[in-house]
Amino acid sequence: MSDSSNNDPFFVGYLGIPKGLRFFLAAAALLLIGGFGILALSIGTAQNDPGDASFEFSWGPQTLTGILQAAPYPILHVTSGSKHIPAGKTILLSGNGKRGIVPRATPLDGQLVQVTGIALKRGDLDMLQLRGGTNGLRKADAGVGQSISIKALGRWRLTGEICDGKCLSGAMRPGRGLSHKACANFCLRGGIPPVFVSSAPVEGRNFFLMGTLDDKALPPDVLNHVATYISVEGVVERHGAMHIFKIDPASVEFAK
Amino acid sequence: MEDAAIVLSVARWWLYAGGIVAVLFLGFGIDRIDENARGSYIFRPLLVPGILLIWPLVLWRWLKLERNHHDISGRYNPLRQAHGPTWMVLAFLIPTLFLGALALRQTWPKDAPATLLAPPAGAAQR
Repeated sequence: MSDSSNNDPFFVGYLGIPKGLRFFLAAAALLLIGGFGILALSIGTAQNDPGDASFEFSWGPQTLTGILQAAPYPILHVTSGSKHIPAGKTILLSGNGKRGIVPRATPLDGQLVQVTGIALKRGDLDMLQLRGGTNGLRKADAGVGQSISIKALGRWRLTGEICDGKCLSGAMRPGRGLSHKACANFCLRGGIPPVFVSSAPVEGRNFFLMGTLDDKALPPDVLNHVATYISVEGVVERHGAMHIFKIDPASVEFAK
Repeated sequence: MEDAAIVLSVARWWLYAGGIVAVLFLGFGIDRIDENARGSYIFRPLLVPGILLIWPLVLWRWLKLERNHHDISGRYNPLRQAHGPTWMVLAFLIPTLFLGALALRQTWPKDAPATLLAPPAGAAQR
């Protein structure tokens, strides 16, 4: 080591701060504390408001009866509801975690069923996270099924975002946006119903359950467009109280 | 193939390659380039996760040390010399990436209309 380097101040934690390094240490500490404070504030204020969606644990488990519609994704047209989810509503159905209920729902398509689970709510979008097995979904003991009214609302081009219906309904905050893309894709792969959030309403609704023109679940390629802002063409239908946007996946365009 | 599936596939093959490098390096290589490691085995599994991730760097360092085994300064000086420039590059790159991503991200298309392309044909009963 040269002589000049022997004269340089050298920081040793247990020996106190060398005179020549005091100003540097104070400046660096202030810069770091202030800089990270400003950075945290900038990141925080740049985020979108996650909204007030949430699990409704305070409602307790909800037991509902209604007509099950399995395609394109399971929904329930409520015929006998609860205080919080009255008859006439149509709600999305999911399982626990990132799992949908397609295997359980398909054999009961069109039948009167009883469901039990925890509700999630975001504005006029309701979902029920069902308990496992027949505790969560089973054929109703008695009752007569009713027909579901279906109204075609025409072919539309809507602009907005594909989200997974569970996180959007309140399972996650934020439950949408680019930072949530990986979670949304895991949920959609698990069979959670996808929901299109439109920038402009159709019949006063901005949330649409999604499917394809042939009433099937979304193909895997659509996952590439989740959480980005897109415009897409499709047919809008109202099934009971649920608006369904049946899209043509080939018409997806990146929104400018 | 979906974009996510491609990323996962690349990651999987990267880790497979890392596993092969870990077996070779911890089984044979480390004894050849580090005399302090000879006869010591318990610590080696602890290195596996790191090697899985940075196996190209492990291979490169292994090759360098095989070629110049006794040059201690040659072993550490490249890292020391790279420290300053790397620090400067990262100090520029990280804020640039962060601010660039914020500036380039999409904004919610609040003014985009819902466009009716064709009116409904009629109502039906299910």
